[in-house]
Amino acid sequence: MGKLISSILIANRGEIALRVIRACKEMKIKSIALYSDEDLRSKHVKSADEAYYLGPPAPTKSYLSIDRIIEIAVSAGAEAIHPGYGFLSENETFAAKCEEKGIIFIGPTSEAMALTGDKMKCKEIMKKAEVPTIPGSDDILEEVDKAVEVAEEAGYPVLLKSAYGGGGRGIRFANDEKTLREEFEMAAAESRAAFGKSGLYVEKFLQGIRHIEFQLARDSSGNGRHLFERECSIQRRHQKLIEFSPSSVVDKKTRSKIGEIAVRAAESVDYLNAGTAEFLRDEKGNFYFIEVNSRLQVEHPVTELVTGIDLVKLQIKIARGEEIPFKQDDLNMNGSAIECRINAEDPFHDFVPSVGLVPDCNLPYGPGVRVDTYLYPGCNVSGYYDSLVAKLITWGQDFNEARVRMSNALDEFLIEGINTTIPLYRTIMTEKNFIEGKISTDYLEKYDMLNVMQNELKEKQLKESDAAIASALLFSEYLKGQYNTGNSSKDLSLSRWVKTGNSKNGI
Amino acid sequence: MHDEKINRLHEMKKKAEIGGGQEKIEAQHTKGKLTARERLDLLLDSNSFIEIDKYVVHRSIESDSTKYYGDGVITGFGTVNGRKVFVYAYDFTILGGSLGEMAGRKIVKLMDHAIKVGAPLIGILDSGGARIQEGVMSLDGYGDIFFRNTMASGVIPQITASIGPCAGGAVYSPAMTDFVIMVENIGQMFVTGPEVVKEVLSQEVSFEDLGGARTHSTKSGVAHFVAENEYECMDKIKKLISFIPQNNLEISPSIESQDDPNRLEPDFSKILPENPYEQYDMKQIIKLLVDKGDFLEVHEHFAENIVVGFARIDGKSVGIIANQPMYLAGALDINSSTKAARFIRFCDCFNIPIVTLVDTPGYLPGTDQEHNGIIRHGSKLLYAYCEATVPKVTCIIGKAYGGAYIAMGSKNLRADINYAWPTAEIAVLGPEAAITIVHRKDLKTSKNPVEIKKKLAKEYRQKFANPYIAAEKGIIDLVIDPLETRIMIVKALDVLQNKRESRPIRKHGNINL
Amino acid sequence: MEFKIDNQDNVLSGSINESSGDGKIVATINNKEHSMKIIGLKNNILEFMLDNSYRTAKILEYGSSHVKMLMNGEQIILKKHSKLTEILEKSMALGGSASGENKLFSQIPGRVVSIMVKVGDQIKKGDSVIVLESMKMQVAVKAHKDGEIKDTKVKIGDTVSRNDIVAVIE
Repeated sequence: MGKLISSILIANRGEIALRVIRACKEMKIKSIALYSDEDLRSKHVKSADEAYYLGPPAPTKSYLSIDRIIEIAVSAGAEAIHPGYGFLSENETFAAKCEEKGIIFIGPTSEAMALTGDKMKCKEIMKKAEVPTIPGSDDILEEVDKAVEVAEEAGYPVLLKSAYGGGGRGIRFANDEKTLREEFEMAAAESRAAFGKSGLYVEKFLQGIRHIEFQLARDSSGNGRHLFERECSIQRRHQKLIEFSPSSVVDKKTRSKIGEIAVRAAESVDYLNAGTAEFLRDEKGNFYFIEVNSRLQVEHPVTELVTGIDLVKLQIKIARGEEIPFKQDDLNMNGSAIECRINAEDPFHDFVPSVGLVPDCNLPYGPGVRVDTYLYPGCNVSGYYDSLVAKLITWGQDFNEARVRMSNALDEFLIEGINTTIPLYRTIMTEKNFIEGKISTDYLEKYDMLNVMQNELKEKQLKESDAAIASALLFSEYLKGQYNTGNSSKDLSLSRWVKTGNSKNGI
Repeated sequence: MHDEKINRLHEMKKKAEIGGGQEKIEAQHTKGKLTARERLDLLLDSNSFIEIDKYVVHRSIESDSTKYYGDGVITGFGTVNGRKVFVYAYDFTILGGSLGEMAGRKIVKLMDHAIKVGAPLIGILDSGGARIQEGVMSLDGYGDIFFRNTMASGVIPQITASIGPCAGGAVYSPAMTDFVIMVENIGQMFVTGPEVVKEVLSQEVSFEDLGGARTHSTKSGVAHFVAENEYECMDKIKKLISFIPQNNLEISPSIESQDDPNRLEPDFSKILPENPYEQYDMKQIIKLLVDKGDFLEVHEHFAENIVVGFARIDGKSVGIIANQPMYLAGALDINSSTKAARFIRFCDCFNIPIVTLVDTPGYLPGTDQEHNGIIRHGSKLLYAYCEATVPKVTCIIGKAYGGAYIAMGSKNLRADINYAWPTAEIAVLGPEAAITIVHRKDLKTSKNPVEIKKKLAKEYRQKFANPYIAAEKGIIDLVIDPLETRIMIVKALDVLQNKRESRPIRKHGNINL
Repeated sequence: MEFKIDNQDNVLSGSINESSGDGKIVATINNKEHSMKIIGLKNNILEFMLDNSYRTAKILEYGSSHVKMLMNGEQIILKKHSKLTEILEKSMALGGSASGENKLFSQIPGRVVSIMVKVGDQIKKGDSVIVLESMKMQVAVKAHKDGEIKDTKVKIGDTVSRNDIVAVIE
């Protein structure tokens, strides 16, 4: 029951589009790219076999415009669509429309997506499947009193979240009843404004938690596999910064146990293709299910490096109707991999976004170094899309080798023209607690990493100050030599000025 | 030996350098302004400044008035990135920088030196105006300065920086210099100040609105450059100097080209839209054409329908003039004509070759233009191109209709080499206008005038709106592939370097002012 | 000449003592003498010898007020004439007669998604005035001084470039 996919339209941009195109090339599948006005000269457009114009830069008019994308897919004869991550990758309407038009959507079915997208329903299903969830509300809370009740039962402090939002945005913290009541009103209003409904739920806030997720894959024959865990505890404002595998607090037994739970979670929503089950692990080692991300994730390279499995190619195979070509026991974890998400933000000034031309860049390479990026010298980083410009992933026989390789690769990674978060990662890679694995989701604040980064930079700059000043002095000397002309040149013969003025006819 | 006498000199030096006194210096700083000496320190290479007339004393009017040395202006010579320059900077700390008789004499002496040596003259203005107490002798000073400005015009480059007030008749000196740069919120120039305006006309207007940097760089065109602060002001002056020669007998400094003279540029044809009615930014084309995209635009915010400025092509300094389709569709009008004409004449004075890029639909119509004399002012552009004997290379990129085609460096104005892109449309009128006139009878009697018009316009376009008719007549030297534009211009400029061309001997022409 | 590394307080110094014809330069930097020689400068990448060790720096910006360069992958901004800058900055902060200080500029490009104030509001330094969206992030442009909102120069949906005026505060 295999459908041959001979062309794939990639409904995305940037580094993930390039990633999918690469997999297509390996599988001899025609790659079809899309671009907005901003992306005319992007690398993914240049690499694809065909490229079609989407529309103006704004996402709603381009990468999020379902009808236009389907229209292009149909006219270009695309047999399948890969949505990447973000944009329409978890949009059930989009998946459904693809199914309607007979285009294979490389990902889960629209039904599975709907299930995983509804946090409350998902929690219900997980409970039935005996997957441990975070203490908190089981239903959407319309009134603040119910919220308080749930919070008392679960125990403060609690988090107030929107049932419809995702990706770490709009989460509020409440230490006591009073704060909860205040935050509730504001959160409800925001939710109404953003999603049209005010569905909120309360969740116990766990201390010293680590974010550990399991990569999943399930095929149309019902075979579910997990491809081990990734630890993503280093975050800022609930956005992941660094991910690595294996996690230092997950032993073989736990890996097997939680992996199984993750696969069960996938089965309970009849999941198809690749996805990720996210868990939180508290200080005591208890794992709590948070959600299933029904897409290929940003940090998938980490898993690719420690398992040797190409996840994008696996996605395409599953979409073709093939069975997953390995059994759970066939998989082995080999070595250790770390990924740093390099964003175009200024870590020294509150992570203010940085856009513009990148006149030059120098990508690191060497054993165990992988860079997934859309950057090239002369490219443009647009303000219309998200700030991820590159993923730097390193692999080593153990965590330490991967870490040292990452540290050196960060030193080699030069991106001109924009500010990036590379300096922050440089600091973290050599920080004692990170090296010892003493991390949790509040790592940055707990160890005041931004300050440490600032101080490290200052020290480095001071050390280089002699050479820097020497450069400044030499450059000014150079400028003096550059513009000599006429009576300023080193040529000592009489200038035209003097000769002409001294002549009898003088001008 | 002679310790006592030498010590006396040191004392004098200190007194002179403190200007109007520590208090006045602090007052200057509080206003967010640097003192004259600090400004010279920023502008000139370190340890290069030699001051002359340091100990000149003002004509003291009141018998008990304090003795200030320098009389409110600091004059001397130094180097800017190794280039010899003569500078004077008004010292606001001494009697408000007002011009007294001795100060006038100092400046005039300096200007005479600059003219003798053939080196650029830079003036930094920060002055309360004429010193009322000295009466007509201070006006005398201005008059002498104006005369020297005129004598030096076209002989040595003259640059004025307005970093403070400059009012009354004094503003005519900067007006006669080649380039004026004003610092935002600090530089101000007007002939009559707000108080007088209020008194005489009962009009209320702030200093900034009447004569600040924004006003003069956008409305009046008095200022060629605007700097956000004093640092940027000095940087712009240094940049400007790097493109121009020391005097009118020298050529501009050239550097080893940092940009491949054989660079093919496929993006030229991508920037130009398929639809000739669509706007695009000419500056993008300029940036791709010149070395490293480094373009110093002059009059950036004035008459934006034409772009002028300095750049390097293959390491050599050139002046660029180009229509800007983004504003008024690139049409020519009064301000753009005078802006470009002045720039061309400066380049001609100082041996700087001119590169013109053309995409203009014609002259801007309307009573506003006609009543304000587009006929007079438009002719200045034609005059300037004809008069100039520097190498002139023109490239027609898009539309070039009618009189505007002639005005933009056409062959008949003695441009040396004229290129055109395949997208060039050289015609007397644009398609729509031409059809309306030529086929007026047909359109009147036809049943579907709109359709016929479209069809005729298309035919017209194919027949006339292309560069080949002109090329067939030799008015365009060569139709080139946009890809090769840079290479072609580099080669043209290269061969024209040694050009000499003469003009009839006359005292001077009668350009329509 | 005195220099300061951006964001640091130490005042550093450097000046050229002698420059001989063959390109050898002796300079005093931070009170120590050094001998230097330019090996080459192309595309703004400066290569030189500093006391027998090879150094290189890419000069990104060079102006009267500062030099910005890339050295060993780190960006270093050296401020020149720091005393003068202090003077200018101090007087600007005192709310001098120039109306420049009343203008609130945007530090980043973006699209206006919300305006947090209206004309007449009294605000304090650090209050959010408008919120811009860039790279899917929302960043607030905050008031640079206490005062009253005299004018807002943008409306929701406008696109703002770096250094555009967004409001006037008096």
